[in-house]
Amino acid sequence: MHSALVRAQNVFGFFTTVAFCVAAMIALSSFISPQSPSASIELRNVQVRKGRPHYYSSKKEEYAHISFDLDADLSTLFNWNTKQVFLYIKAIYPSSKPSLPASEAIIWDAILPGTSAPWHQNHYMHPSPKNSKTPKNKRSSKQSQQPQDSPYGRGILHLENQRPKYQITDITGKLQNRTDVRLELGWNVQPWVGPLTWENKKDYGVWKGLEGGVSDGFTFPAVGAKKADLKIEKGKEGHRLMAGEEQPVRKGRA
Amino acid sequence: MSDQLLDQLRDALEGSIDFEGQRLAEMLSTVLLGAVGIIAFLVGFVSQDIKLTLYVGLAGTALTFLAIVPPWPFFNKSPEPWLPPRAASGMNINVDGQKVG
Repeated sequence: MHSALVRAQNVFGFFTTVAFCVAAMIALSSFISPQSPSASIELRNVQVRKGRPHYYSSKKEEYAHISFDLDADLSTLFNWNTKQVFLYIKAIYPSSKPSLPASEAIIWDAILPGTSAPWHQNHYMHPSPKNSKTPKNKRSSKQSQQPQDSPYGRGILHLENQRPKYQITDITGKLQNRTDVRLELGWNVQPWVGPLTWENKKDYGVWKGLEGGVSDGFTFPAVGAKKADLKIEKGKEGHRLMAGEEQPVRKGRA
Repeated sequence: MSDQLLDQLRDALEGSIDFEGQRLAEMLSTVLLGAVGIIAFLVGFVSQDIKLTLYVGLAGTALTFLAIVPPWPFFNKSPEPWLPPRAASGMNINVDGQKVG
């Protein structure tokens, strides 16, 4: 500690030690932050179509297009050390051979940012609920210029008839008439400091296991099968005016 | 003249402090950095904002550097005095056959 250079080296050396210890404390503090995630996921519609893996391919494969409903409360996954949560929905179905483990394929995913994360274009924007009023005049839209990640709050999702991001196929190329297919919610919590953690089904201390998050079993229909009766919501096309048909009458108008 | 200037420059850069000052600097740097780490963690944890931890930690470290590295006067409060020169008593130092001491 005689000269200024030695003192600078000493202070910096101990600073690295302190920084490491603080980082370790932050990483450990994630594990004492209580978590109680819950989710429910339901199949909305599933179709199997023939397709090609890419445009010039002569191989035809079967692709499943699965839409779903998701209600999830993952707000407790966001503590001060959460950078982002990578959320995904897997379709899980038995492999063609019983000796092999079940096949898993991701049909939809989203990046949910934490509180301290700066804006990024890849962050998930939750669709606003259908019956909510969207600000139309310019003033109110200027006031709400800060991008809202979710209208329900951080980590809470209510998705209805959500279309998949990815159509899935099997390594065999055959997907129709597979039974015991399930949809399962999974996630990966990425902290600022510390280890990555995935979804847990069991309780670990104050981290409660995920409640729900698995859909009922269903079957991939045959290729080109008509939509099964899955209570598909009918849109405005029911009111379309058809040539030579009766004019639709809306209630409260005529 | 230039030697004098260089000496001054070297002294300023070297920033020597006395022995008591070195003990004090060692103790101060440990206490300050330790306190900064604890305070940074607590501030961030209470406000649930990890960026605050980062900024408090970095600011505290910068302050510690400022407090420890320059040769502040309080590090030079007990200079070690030189021994008094002995009277020329039987000391015979010969350099190239010439008597020096």
